[in-house]
Amino acid sequence: MIRRAHQCALASLLLLAALLTPAVSGAREYLQLFVTQPYLELHTGPGRGYPVFHVVAREESVDVLFRRTDWFKVRTERGVEGWASQADMQKTVLADGTPFKFDLGDRAGFTSHHFEAGIFAGAYGGANYISAYGSLSFNSQMALEGAVGQFLGRYSNGYTGDIGLIHVIAPESRWSPFVTLGIGEVHIEPKATLVQAVDRSEATAYVGGGVRFYLTRRFFLRAEYKAHYIFTTRNQNEEADEWKAGFAFFF
Amino acid sequence: MESGIRVLLLMAALAAVAPLSGCATVRNWFHHGSSGKNASASGDEDQAPPRVVEPEVARRQIKVPRIHSSNFELGADYGLISIEDFGTHPTYGFTLAYHITEDFFFQGEVARSRAGQTSFETLSQIQLLTESERRFTYYDLSLGYNFLPGEAFIGRGRAMTSAFYLIGGFGGTDFAGDTKFTVNFGAGYRVVPADWLAFHITLQNHVFQSSILGSTKLTNNLEARIGTTVFF
Repeated sequence: MIRRAHQCALASLLLLAALLTPAVSGAREYLQLFVTQPYLELHTGPGRGYPVFHVVAREESVDVLFRRTDWFKVRTERGVEGWASQADMQKTVLADGTPFKFDLGDRAGFTSHHFEAGIFAGAYGGANYISAYGSLSFNSQMALEGAVGQFLGRYSNGYTGDIGLIHVIAPESRWSPFVTLGIGEVHIEPKATLVQAVDRSEATAYVGGGVRFYLTRRFFLRAEYKAHYIFTTRNQNEEADEWKAGFAFFF
Repeated sequence: MESGIRVLLLMAALAAVAPLSGCATVRNWFHHGSSGKNASASGDEDQAPPRVVEPEVARRQIKVPRIHSSNFELGADYGLISIEDFGTHPTYGFTLAYHITEDFFFQGEVARSRAGQTSFETLSQIQLLTESERRFTYYDLSLGYNFLPGEAFIGRGRAMTSAFYLIGGFGGTDFAGDTKFTVNFGAGYRVVPADWLAFHITLQNHVFQSSILGSTKLTNNLEARIGTTVFF
């Protein structure tokens, strides 16, 4: 059993490497940028502490190989590869002389971005709750959001899945409140010690609200409350309160 | 008398020629009739510059190739986990990380191990758990912080970026017929020999409340693992 598992793990790893390697090393067209400052510093690694080992002179060009967080891996005309910081790359220009523009991951990005994702801990109907979400923004105020979660309680465990719309009321503010509305599904697994415990899945609808707080760079805190209405097949519908708080980031 | 008549005639001649000098048709003789329309329009013909060359050069279009982002890290790992009261056993899993900044990353991990027997079970020959209940499956959602970034060197000619990182988060552990809310924390070391490849060594503690052996207690389940990931 364990041996088979090891083989599986090894095979998966090799497969992953095979699948992903061409994607990063394949020939492609790179963006060429020109240095307009006296020089562009190249670091040995993608971090502020890595030493500068090379400089690119004014009016020389670099090819941008790829980006990792706030650092760009570039190649000079002489074939030297190194890492340039986001702040330095802002001062380069394209071949037609226009400034090189890219998303910075700053406060402006917090106001307006394409995607965000995050993780939460909290409570769902009194049970411990772990949740993750992702969202796709239509504009700075409206986004489509999907969330999955698992609740772990004394009497039952289960999973939740939600999809809905979120409206951010003041996206430009550091504290930006929002309201949300959507539908979902909950799968409840009562603990085996209860009599006649049967797993069940129910449709839900929710309404909620919360607040986002911009921390720094691409980070923000998010706390929210959702009132879930669980449409059961029994005579009475159920309600469940969801409280959660966590970290999120945009990209 | 004669001179008076000559003056009158000259004045009459000047009066007749004067309108001609400002006449558009006279001006257009030198412009081959091209600006006839302008001239015959109102009196603003003096401001309109004559068109000398037709601009036939197309504006240069710069195609900006998309910059590839390489912030995700996916991989497999293998290690040992000490499941409290149930012995130390191999564990294997998958991790997916997203690097948000040079300092912080999110990481999700799913892993599985198999619990052995407690000393009570070994001595009494009474089985507390069934075979399927001994399966120890856990997942974590964690936030990592690259605590000590640096470089590692192999010989004189090769340098690899590296980092010690701290990691902590929460998740769930499915064990002994129940899923427990689990808090994890730990530290690891990552070395990046190529832009797309990384190796990890991680030590992590998974803490959850357990009442399998009668009393409810917090159990510490220490895990040590090595892993390989690829960036994409």
